[in-house]
Amino acid sequence: MSPTIYMIILSTLATGTIITMTSYHWLMAWVGLELNTLAIIPIISTMHHPRSTEAATKYFLTQAAASALILFSSMTNAWNTGSWDITQPLTSPSHILLTMALAMKLGLAPLHFWLPEVIQGSTMTTAFIITTWQKIAPMSLIFLTMNNLSTSVFLLMGLLSSLVGGWGGLNQTQTRKIMAYSSIAHLGWMATISSIMTNILIMNLLIYLIMTTSVFLSLIISKSKTIQDTTSTWTLSPTLTIIMLLSLLSLGGLPPLTGFIPKWLIMEELILQNFNLLISMMAMSSLLSLYFYLRLTYTTALTLSPNTTQTKFKWRFYPNTSTMFIITPATISIFLLPMTPLILL
Amino acid sequence: MTPTNLLMYSTFSLSIFGLSMHRSHLVSALLCIEGMMLALFITSATLLSTTQTTSLAATPIILLTFSACEAGTGLALLVATARTHGNDHLQNLNLLQC
Amino acid sequence: MVYFIFITFFCLVGGLAVVACNPSPYFGAAGLVLSSVAACTVVVEFGGSFVSLILFLIYLGGMLVVFAYSVALASDPFPEGIWDMSVGAYFTGYLVFLVGFLAVFGGDSFFYNFGVIGSEASGFNVVRGDFEGVSLLYGLGGAGLVICGWGLLLTLFVVLELTRGMSRGGLRVI
Repeated sequence: MSPTIYMIILSTLATGTIITMTSYHWLMAWVGLELNTLAIIPIISTMHHPRSTEAATKYFLTQAAASALILFSSMTNAWNTGSWDITQPLTSPSHILLTMALAMKLGLAPLHFWLPEVIQGSTMTTAFIITTWQKIAPMSLIFLTMNNLSTSVFLLMGLLSSLVGGWGGLNQTQTRKIMAYSSIAHLGWMATISSIMTNILIMNLLIYLIMTTSVFLSLIISKSKTIQDTTSTWTLSPTLTIIMLLSLLSLGGLPPLTGFIPKWLIMEELILQNFNLLISMMAMSSLLSLYFYLRLTYTTALTLSPNTTQTKFKWRFYPNTSTMFIITPATISIFLLPMTPLILL
Repeated sequence: MTPTNLLMYSTFSLSIFGLSMHRSHLVSALLCIEGMMLALFITSATLLSTTQTTSLAATPIILLTFSACEAGTGLALLVATARTHGNDHLQNLNLLQC
Repeated sequence: MVYFIFITFFCLVGGLAVVACNPSPYFGAAGLVLSSVAACTVVVEFGGSFVSLILFLIYLGGMLVVFAYSVALASDPFPEGIWDMSVGAYFTGYLVFLVGFLAVFGGDSFFYNFGVIGSEASGFNVVRGDFEGVSLLYGLGGAGLVICGWGLLLTLFVVLELTRGMSRGGLRVI
């Protein structure tokens, strides 16, 4: 792709999300989502091989249907109430439709099937964009319409996505699919808290974005497409193995790391609201996720796989990918737990 | 529920059921998306004349513009799929399954 | 007039039911053409003659022609109309769904509220409301026009980028 076109497409990708986030009228929110979808399609199919074309087609079909559903729910709401504002209350069928459409855009559990396939078909950088930047626009719509969406549907979807994210990732060997299922599980936790306390939702979204950035950047640097590829990370950079281990455990939500903050606060809030059975099931399902994160850390940092004499000299070469950008997200995704009272607004 | 409401609910739900239930060709899935856009267009165009707010008349135009953008992208994807997969059957899009 | 509106509603829903029941793309495109003509008529009946003209020129005249052309990509040797077994089953299912929808949600108000309630549907008006509204795109709604233009320009790049056949030959027989 020519750099000029790439710049135009990337700036439109950013503009679409920003239009959606700043809009007050449902039509403009839809226009932002459409611009966003149109701009990511050529980025997904950059490589022009069958898998990337297929991923782009699947992404296009699901996202076009979901944004049409969003606009339809807001339009029927405008028919009934006469109001096009995003923050105004929604009438009876519209809020269920809107909940389903936003869940489809995000990839929550009953509507998640497109996410692992699209991520598997695109490059590692595109997968990184899809799991991080593309989640911001629907999440901001959820944040704006928080009072009007269906709480029970969101609680059910959250539980289901954390279970599906845990179970689906167990059988995968491709790191991109593992990251897709991890994204589904994290979005499940966010969906659960979204209809109860939105400041925890925003904090969870930020921490999820930073942790996913850190893990994806380390996967990009070590060029790890499968679990097998992560076994030779130590030959590239011994420091990277430590960063990957801690970031993955943070993504799994182990206590001294940053990933524990949202899980801790969501559990505390849901127990306060007497959702005891739900939150214990979600905590159990996060153990499933933790299992495949642990498997990745095991092959990355805890074992020395069989190798030849030459492999261990790989670190002497100068790395051809920039390692600078991993510093901040890795630091934040490892050490932020003591700052919890400051970042919880 | 007035007949107009009934019309827009039934058109949109028919199109989205058609998209989601059983498709054999990609081009017919794109036709279903166009049907959804048509239902949205009718909804917004009748909304502006029923509520007599003429300032909403730009809504169907913007909607039509972006549905044209979507249709163009969908047809380009159709061409790309026909090039890489040989035909446009949705059954052939099975390379990425788990 | 009421019966005419009823016929156009029926054509609209029927055409979309033909699209939805998974026939061959030829019949799907024909059903969408039928339903978009009916949609133009419905919008005219509600007093939006300019918006209806736009729908007729852009949607029916521009996009559906391209769709009918693209259907040639999916040339089936034995096209399935709605008389085939599976397609006919879907069509019947959708009709049953529609009738059920009508029975549950139609209620008493179905024939009671029937009629044209548009702003300028009756009588002769020199200035059309929707025409004035669309002209807002050149004034207060100029940002919408800019965004639409940007979207169309982006679509040009997206389409060119998607169909660019790098090493696979630009003009391959599809």
